[in-house]
Amino acid sequence: MATTIGLSNAEKSEASAFGLSKITLYQLLSILGLFALWEIGGLVPISVAFPTFSETTVALFEMIADGRMIAAYADTLKPLLIGIGISAGFGVTLGVAMGLNRRFQWFWEPIFIVLQAAPVAALIPLITFIYGIGLAAKVVAVIILALPIIVLNSYKAVRNASASLIQMCQSFQGTRLQQIWKVIIPNASPVIFAGLRLGVAAGFIGVILAELLITPTGIGDLITYHRSVAEYAEMYAAVFSVIVFSAITVGSLERAETRFFRPDKKVGR
Amino acid sequence: MFQIPKLKPLCLAAMAAVAVALAGAPAEAQDKGTMHVAFGDIPGPDMVNFLAAVARAEKRGVEVEVSYLQSEDIAAQAVVGGQADIGVGTPYALIQKVKAPIRMFYQLSQLRFYPVVNGEFYKEWKDLDGADIAVHGRGSGTEAIMQLMAKENGITYNSVSYVPGSSVRAGALMQGNIKATNVDLERKRLLQRKAPDKFVFLPLPKVEASDEALYANTNWLEEQSEAVDILMEELLGVWREINKDPNVVVSLRDEYNLLPDLPQEDVDEMLPSFSQGVEINLYPDNGGSAESVEEDFLFYTTAGTLQGDPGDLKVEDFWYLDPLNRALDKVGRM
Repeated sequence: MATTIGLSNAEKSEASAFGLSKITLYQLLSILGLFALWEIGGLVPISVAFPTFSETTVALFEMIADGRMIAAYADTLKPLLIGIGISAGFGVTLGVAMGLNRRFQWFWEPIFIVLQAAPVAALIPLITFIYGIGLAAKVVAVIILALPIIVLNSYKAVRNASASLIQMCQSFQGTRLQQIWKVIIPNASPVIFAGLRLGVAAGFIGVILAELLITPTGIGDLITYHRSVAEYAEMYAAVFSVIVFSAITVGSLERAETRFFRPDKKVGR
Repeated sequence: MFQIPKLKPLCLAAMAAVAVALAGAPAEAQDKGTMHVAFGDIPGPDMVNFLAAVARAEKRGVEVEVSYLQSEDIAAQAVVGGQADIGVGTPYALIQKVKAPIRMFYQLSQLRFYPVVNGEFYKEWKDLDGADIAVHGRGSGTEAIMQLMAKENGITYNSVSYVPGSSVRAGALMQGNIKATNVDLERKRLLQRKAPDKFVFLPLPKVEASDEALYANTNWLEEQSEAVDILMEELLGVWREINKDPNVVVSLRDEYNLLPDLPQEDVDEMLPSFSQGVEINLYPDNGGSAESVEEDFLFYTTAGTLQGDPGDLKVEDFWYLDPLNRALDKVGRM
């Protein structure tokens, strides 16, 4: 019966209050509940440095309107995009190579496992000793956070490619290259893409850490500056904008992943 | 049956000795209150004067706990939130913008900047026309002073980047990542020591403003007035002793075993650093005054930390000078 996999027809029809599906309604309630708690926390107040949600929202729109926020994102996105680009290109290639070749795997796996487990916030100041305090250091911070996730996901995706499909390719006398291009990589691509999505999320953490710990630029500058002059609504607006921006980006990637690589997941949503 | 241990007479004797010692202790060394001081910096040789005053206050019965937090902002939040009683810094913006119920009450040191450039590229202020400079942060005093000098010399910088921490900027200067910035006294001495001929220190007109001050919740200052008065008196005493003869920092550190884990390099640097500090009037003899606060208003409004006309700002909105005045009445003004 189809009802065990997704929503039953009854559930779907029952859920259309205010013209919204039950899922959307619950998701909206969850977000609104959080904002209400934030507003109450600011009104109490938890601390003089904790603004209400409404104050933060006003500050956010002001910062968008006067162009400060857009200029800051232009600065922040530079190291993020370069870092993610390098991590994606290098990471997927290396991960696939590790999945296909045991020697590659033995050599690289410990390095990336250590990097993934390392407390990166503590390593970031060390980056400045080698890469200085400019763009290069921030790109490296993004790479350090994003690369291990992308590499390890890609490697595991290739290693766990369907053995029966590979055997089928062999039985049809496919060459090793055909096996890789036509069977292994297409079969591994959903997990590789999931790794990329997680890598982007980690990259956001990397770039913000770098902007807070190395030199304040972009969003990091907005957070640092408004904190230093005690403009907490603006400071929280900058923090809030990063969370929203990161969530939208990662959410969009997840939708793309579901649409292009995992049509099976659509049913269960 | 309960066995009397053989050591009992010895224990009794020891207990009696402790009791006699406690009874004979000076009446002052009793509980005069507690205070938790939060620094927004790591412990360093420049804190020896403060820690000596704390050690003396402890001898007079004030229980003092000192914490070292990551930044001045966090220390200020700890004071506002009640996790710490006294903070170290100049939280003018916090007091003005969010009406935090805190007031500064003792000026520990005055602000001193040292604009410094890489001698290979620049020699004087005029050379910085079109140059890339680095300062502590946006809206910081370091930025205000660099912009003021640009205006005076009719120059414009190509870019201003923000590199928090004098030590970080000094390191970046030595590595060649930045070529023009400004540093504090400690890092000026470091640069002169590590690369004596590489850097040029540019001239600067005298700036009169607080660098570090003590601040606390006004309620707490009133409730713990006895403990605060003791600390004030000891601070004034230590500051004046050092201004009279900077050599006392060494004996103070030894006497109270302050910062015993300091690296030898820092220990060696301590005396010359304090001597130079005394030469440039870094340590006020009277812990600040209404006049010094007005000078703060002038500087911090220029820096953008404070908003409004300096003439309209009121001393009592930012400072609580009663404990200092009480202490000065007792120890005398200089």
